[in-house]
Amino acid sequence: MNFPLYKQMMKSNIKLFLGFGLVSAIYVVLMTSLFPLFADNLDEMESMMELFPDSLLRALGLEAFGNYGQFISAEYYGLFYLLILGVFSVMSAVQLLAKLVDRGSMAYLLSTRISRVQIAFTQMMVLLSGLIIIHVLNFGGGLAAGELLIDEQNAIAMKDFFQINFVGFLLFFAVGGYSFLVSSLLNDERSALATAGGLTFLFYGMNMIGKIVTDVDWLRNITPFSLYEPGKIAGGDAEVWTSSLILTGIGILAYTLAIVLFRHRNLPL
Amino acid sequence: MIRIDNLTRQFPNGKGIFNVSFEVKEGEVFGFLGPNGSGKSTTIRHLLGYMKPQKGSAVIDGYDTWKNQAKARGRIGYLPGEIAFLEGMTGSDFLDMMAGMQGITDKSKRTSLIQRLQFDPDTPIRKMSKGMKQKVGIVATFMHDPDVYILDEPTSGLDPLMQKLFVELVLEEKEKGKTFLMSSHSFSEIERTCDRAAIIRNGEIVTVKDIHELQSMQRKVFDVTLTRSEDVEAMKESRLSIKKTEGLFVRVEVQGDFDNFIHELSKYSVKNISAGTQSLEQIFMDYYDAEEAGS
Repeated sequence: MNFPLYKQMMKSNIKLFLGFGLVSAIYVVLMTSLFPLFADNLDEMESMMELFPDSLLRALGLEAFGNYGQFISAEYYGLFYLLILGVFSVMSAVQLLAKLVDRGSMAYLLSTRISRVQIAFTQMMVLLSGLIIIHVLNFGGGLAAGELLIDEQNAIAMKDFFQINFVGFLLFFAVGGYSFLVSSLLNDERSALATAGGLTFLFYGMNMIGKIVTDVDWLRNITPFSLYEPGKIAGGDAEVWTSSLILTGIGILAYTLAIVLFRHRNLPL
Repeated sequence: MIRIDNLTRQFPNGKGIFNVSFEVKEGEVFGFLGPNGSGKSTTIRHLLGYMKPQKGSAVIDGYDTWKNQAKARGRIGYLPGEIAFLEGMTGSDFLDMMAGMQGITDKSKRTSLIQRLQFDPDTPIRKMSKGMKQKVGIVATFMHDPDVYILDEPTSGLDPLMQKLFVELVLEEKEKGKTFLMSSHSFSEIERTCDRAAIIRNGEIVTVKDIHELQSMQRKVFDVTLTRSEDVEAMKESRLSIKKTEGLFVRVEVQGDFDNFIHELSKYSVKNISAGTQSLEQIFMDYYDAEEAGS
């Protein structure tokens, strides 16, 4: 890793990282503050839920939300969180390589004694730093809001809440990984954005369809999104270690490939 | 110091560079001349290790510029032809980052360069004019005191005063024994600094020549305005090569034999005289003419 480059990249991107982190923290606090209202009217909510088909509830992770853990998993980690972090991972990965190649500023980074491998590795570290910052803010916000707003009997165990965030981080470590790979291979910022974004959308959609239509639930086996089941983590019946290992593996493989291929390809600078 | 050997790269559209070979010796200022799209930048991109040669090789100070690109790049200061900075930075941010990546801590050369080029480095880059960006680029190229300079159209965007200063900078570094490869599409830019120059056209090296030889090959055009029409007639009878006359206006072409030109002119009453610069295309044509005449 090259520290001067890392420092400058963090300086240029810190507003973006904090922005995404704060939005996700505010959202998790907001959703948490809704839970008491929800819990008071649980019976009405459940009778209303019966009006919806089972498959839809499954897809949205709304099968059960009797306690705060299941509620926040369904209402935030199963939806908005995926959206924010998906957008962030794809966007940042494309900005950190493909955009620099497309606009030509990579020529400057590659005019010194720093090797391509070091450049790509440093850019990867910037992306991971962003993901860590967002997750720390998100986890901290959720934790604080849970302490203040949720009463004892409904509270989520600290361990479970940590795991929801941690496996979430690993999911976007993997999503960021293949986006970074796409970013390292394409010369055009827009096509990199379209490819990485399209792939993410496709993976997310396959996970949804697999959940709704049980006949094609094999679709879920080929998308990393199925490895992240916050509702099950909250309920204590998720295979956290297996998921974590697979997501970490996908990420490491993708980043390694990205760096190696970036080293060997022709750059139109 | 720089050795390019049979370097070939063809792009899908058929353009590219073909069997480009030349050598730049240590301490030499070498010009790389060619019209736009002739392959100057493509050759330079190979020297920076951005592209893998399809054939041949480029070596800087013993390091292959593709296989050993980081080491080769470590020897050079590079000024890109089209400067694209990172977004959201000031000039100082950029120079700090580059200094860090170049591995230098001594700011003295940088400070003196900024002083001589006269610009405010704390301006955000997006607010800078083209010339100011070029100055930031020049500082980034020179501040780490490299042994080899690779400059792609270095004076584009600079006003004449700064162009002159830039020539001074190059000559100072040359004094210190530094090596230069400098591309340009203008002959006048090259002739003030270079020892030798290569001319490239359509991706192929046309010639590598001593700069004085190229100068003597160059034909200069003078537009002379006389005061008497009989002088115009007399001039037409002389040995000068007259290209055009229009009233009292005479266009004369001179190649090498300036003495004769001055002698001839001294016979007449001259009202105005101006020297036109010859475009690079014309130099090429002259070069080909000279080649044909020689063979």
